[in-house]
Amino acid sequence: MTKITLGKAINAGLRAAMEADPKVVVMGEDIGKLGGVFRVTEGLQKDFGEDRVIDTPLAESGIIGTAVGLALRGYRPVCEIQFDGFVFPAYDQIINQVAKMHYRSMGKIRMPLVIRIPYGGGIGAVEHHSESPETLFAHVPGLKVVSCGDPVDAYWMIQQAITSDDPVVFFEPKRRYHEKAELDESVPPTQPLHQAKVVREGTDATLLCYGPMVKTCVQAAEAAVEDGRQLEVIDLRTISPLDLQTIFASVRKTRRAVVVHEAPLSLGPGSEIAARITEECFYHLEAPVLRVTGYDTPYPPSRMEDDYLPDLDRVLDGVDRVMGY
Amino acid sequence: MSESVPGPAPEVFAPHKAPVSPPQASEEVEFVQLLTPEGERVEHPDYSFDLDDEAIKSFYRDMTLVRRIDTEATALQRQGELGLWASLLGQEAAQIGSGRALNSKDMVFPTYREHGVAWCQGVNPLNLLGLFRGVDQGAWDPKDNNFHLYTIVIGAQTLHATGYAMGQQRDHAIGDAENGEATIAYFGDGASSQGDVNEAFIWASVFNAPVVCFCQNNQWAISEPIDRQTRIPLYQRAAGFGFPGVRVDGNDVLATYAVTQQALKRAREGSGPTLIEAYTYRMGAHTTSDDPTKYRLNEDLEHWKLKDPIGRVHAYLARHAGVDHDFFDEIEAEADKVAAELRAGCLALPDPVLTDFFQNVYVEETPQLAEQRDQFAAYAASFEGEG
Amino acid sequence: MGIQQFRLPDVGEGLVEAEIVSWKVKPGDTVKLNDTVVEIETAKSLVELPVPFAGVISELLVPEGETVPVGTPIIAVQTESAGEEPLADDLVPTVPEPEDDKGGRTAVLVGYGPKTTEAKRRARKAPAASAASAASASSATSAAPTASAGSAAAPAQVATGAPGGAAPAASPALQAPAAAATAPAVPTGDVAGGNSAAVHVLAKPPVRKLAKDLGIDLATVNATGPGGIITRADVEGHAAAPAAAEPAAAYQPAPVVSGQGDTRVPVKGVQKVMAQAMVASAFTAPHVTEWITVDVSATMELVERLKGDRAFRDLRVSPLLIVAKAVTLAARRTPIINAAWDEQAQEIVYKGAVNLGIAAATPRGLIVPNIKSADSLTLPELCRALNDLVATAREGKTQPADQAGGSFTITNVGVFGVDAGTPIINPGEAAILAFGAVRKQPWVVDDEIVPRWITTLALSFDHRLIDGEKGSTFLADVASILEDPARALMF
Repeated sequence: MTKITLGKAINAGLRAAMEADPKVVVMGEDIGKLGGVFRVTEGLQKDFGEDRVIDTPLAESGIIGTAVGLALRGYRPVCEIQFDGFVFPAYDQIINQVAKMHYRSMGKIRMPLVIRIPYGGGIGAVEHHSESPETLFAHVPGLKVVSCGDPVDAYWMIQQAITSDDPVVFFEPKRRYHEKAELDESVPPTQPLHQAKVVREGTDATLLCYGPMVKTCVQAAEAAVEDGRQLEVIDLRTISPLDLQTIFASVRKTRRAVVVHEAPLSLGPGSEIAARITEECFYHLEAPVLRVTGYDTPYPPSRMEDDYLPDLDRVLDGVDRVMGY
Repeated sequence: MSESVPGPAPEVFAPHKAPVSPPQASEEVEFVQLLTPEGERVEHPDYSFDLDDEAIKSFYRDMTLVRRIDTEATALQRQGELGLWASLLGQEAAQIGSGRALNSKDMVFPTYREHGVAWCQGVNPLNLLGLFRGVDQGAWDPKDNNFHLYTIVIGAQTLHATGYAMGQQRDHAIGDAENGEATIAYFGDGASSQGDVNEAFIWASVFNAPVVCFCQNNQWAISEPIDRQTRIPLYQRAAGFGFPGVRVDGNDVLATYAVTQQALKRAREGSGPTLIEAYTYRMGAHTTSDDPTKYRLNEDLEHWKLKDPIGRVHAYLARHAGVDHDFFDEIEAEADKVAAELRAGCLALPDPVLTDFFQNVYVEETPQLAEQRDQFAAYAASFEGEG
Repeated sequence: MGIQQFRLPDVGEGLVEAEIVSWKVKPGDTVKLNDTVVEIETAKSLVELPVPFAGVISELLVPEGETVPVGTPIIAVQTESAGEEPLADDLVPTVPEPEDDKGGRTAVLVGYGPKTTEAKRRARKAPAASAASAASASSATSAAPTASAGSAAAPAQVATGAPGGAAPAASPALQAPAAAATAPAVPTGDVAGGNSAAVHVLAKPPVRKLAKDLGIDLATVNATGPGGIITRADVEGHAAAPAAAEPAAAYQPAPVVSGQGDTRVPVKGVQKVMAQAMVASAFTAPHVTEWITVDVSATMELVERLKGDRAFRDLRVSPLLIVAKAVTLAARRTPIINAAWDEQAQEIVYKGAVNLGIAAATPRGLIVPNIKSADSLTLPELCRALNDLVATAREGKTQPADQAGGSFTITNVGVFGVDAGTPIINPGEAAILAFGAVRKQPWVVDDEIVPRWITTLALSFDHRLIDGEKGSTFLADVASILEDPARALMF
């Protein structure tokens, strides 16, 4: 049992995966000698060598494209895109090749890639380093999209993503890299990769969140007790596919739902969740599904990001509104 | 082999001139040639064709059958049986020559026009038609013939090839010129402008990957001529990335074979990538939806007809290898048969069923997708006249 | 062998139609497969077409200079024997006629081109099939009504499922599969803000708004929608009921004015529910009715004595109380009277308690609230429960939960002055007792005619599980207690 940060938990998970399967290779910019700009891959090259921990040229499309070739050769590449805002040169390879290869080949070819992307804001960064592009991938058939919200999940989910034979875009909440939790590696994971988790039980409304917003929502729920409200918090964990059963069970119980994410409002993951809940829980709803999200602007200069990002107050404001129907 | 110093820069031209003719092959272009357009064997200081006349006869057969398949497919498109066809007319030597140099372990990453290489790798030609007919997106298993599916996004496959080659390195399949493996990536002159192709060159060179980058410069990217893609001969690009480049007469099957064979050997023994520019000409349209009369002159076509890849082999065999008309007639008859089989097979290709394709999205299907498929199946069955 | 036609294909040039520019062959010419036979002009350029079969040209179907749509036959060829050209008619290029469902296509650079389909719907199969498939296709987790759920919901059915395990003992015809999909009601005591009451209700947003605007608590509205959903009609019906309590005997008279033509009143709300329940019960369970006429004078005396008893100080005591008690006692000897026939499971369900339903006339119509575990109540407790039940019903405030889970019903037709009847069993139960009017009638006592308090008890029972012997025994036992309340000590 160790207290471990989210970043180190991913490191430990990568290590475990590489030990378990010699076909797992890790590749990306600065991930070898430097151990990654967030040190998530620290120590791996020393122990597994340069053939398996590859410092790549500065070419995102090249990272994903060559990973496709490695996968065709039987390897299980774990690619790192250094920052969310820099995934776009690789977007063509991800959408047109990684996502479609299994379908194109009628099941003969598998793309067991993991594409790790540190994402989200709140770290005072310059432009392009605080994006939340998860919906752009979740919208694409053939990809699976997940995000861990705490260190224990991080440790297990990265391993599950690696053993999945489907391509997984693995979003890591960079502002939570230094959050700590107790991790007992000998206790097996309680959940499969594509399942949501009830983090906190409640009765009055359900907060649906993932990644960096899980901690925010838990804090909001704790504060809401003073308002006399018991909020249920669900860490979605998987954005594509969504774990609809867990979501529906909760909303049918509480009758009110608020989705919280950093990504911009319009056509964000909240839109899909709201549509599904409305379709399947129509008769249970006391209020429409509300969304507390980033605004429909590019991510702002960091001095303003606290106004842009959903925080405890904005979450509870959303709860006030949903309770007011 | 290659020169690392580029020639004098061409004049700066106004971008909006009328259709531009590519340079005439015989006057300006230097390349490796071992068989002239007239069918005469010539020598080259760095390359030689070491197989016998039987091999040349088999190359003749390959090229003739492949051309016939291509012609038949074009006709089928004109008759409404295929939505589209990308013809390789004129490029048979480039494809058969390079394709026949591959060993049983080498891996091929084609574009969407390499029907001749598919032939060399033993892919059933009927399997190529499905994606043009719209019944699938690539019917063969890449593992069966070491021939990846056709890639329609221009140049994307060059990165796949490079990554695959890096995998071969990690499998310790490199190092032995005779028994090692290599990868060959095909792409066109237009693709050489794509970022992915240039990134592939970077990766191949810095990782010393065993990948042969085979560029069929057929002078055209739909309507845009080669001088809209590059100011220098394409093979010289390799020097900028730090690996060897060579230009070969793409209509000369002997030279293409020899050059490719040497490049594959280099790769297999661990000496890394080579760029081969096969200088050829796209005698047909870009695809059956294209109208080349809009942007190129008939004279060019006539000029290149004199350099026909099959014609020169025919001339050589008849004049210098003692091959008589029986052999050629046999090949023609075989071509007719192959074409008829292809036609019958094409017409008999079953239409796909959408419900069958839901399961191909993921290895592990999601509950939502399963539900969607069931809903679609129920909806489709709800119409009169349906099951 | 025979004539084959080559239809104008789309050739990927933006072709919807083309002009026949020049024929390269004439009738009588022999052609090989793929010989060029015609030059056509599309919107953009000239294209040569190769003929898809070998044979002899029999007819040129379109003259030079004419423009025809894609799919038009342009040339007829007499083909050779089948051996060499294995092309049957169905293998001829399958370019659809323009008037086909699929329509013509405008070719583009990379494929067949967009279709120009007709703006017309394809014919669907008969609704039963599609409804079934729609039902099967809808999400298994949906709480939305499925086509097969049916809309019948007995008064005993509860919108949210009664807590405490008293599952709606619906008769087979009324099984609502969607009930499985409704969320288990978890009454939580500690809600704050917004949620109405501890009981969760199912209703779609416009209905919720209507209820809110009308100031109606949805938890008090009887749900008749599939799966226990409260419909707009339910809310409206609830709102339309007069709020004032009426004497139990008085129904609202139907507006009938002679000479002014028929008046139509839509069937909805409680009326509809009652009708459905009666139909389901009457035509599922084989009803047998037995009656007995009893001298209940001793009961009437007991009632007077109890009225003065301290234990019944602020309670209303009536003969119905004694009948109720007698029923619970007699059920001990004949437990099958307190059972139910489960058609689906092919089982007889002996209920764990006597949940005694009392049919009540309310301003909105007939309802049957029941007293839970009436058999475990003392006489004063039973009396209080009866009082509360009647009062609540009068005020129109009976909860759905009160109407669920009954196991035996007494219908007090006596209040109307009626002697007996053939009551219809409440669905989910096996028997019902009609308690008639109590009046002084001549009776034979010790060979003499004397006025006594006389009443008739009529018992209808479900002959699938209760036979004549059992029914009669039970009825006789109830009667015997009413005749001599001391006999209660025997049970």
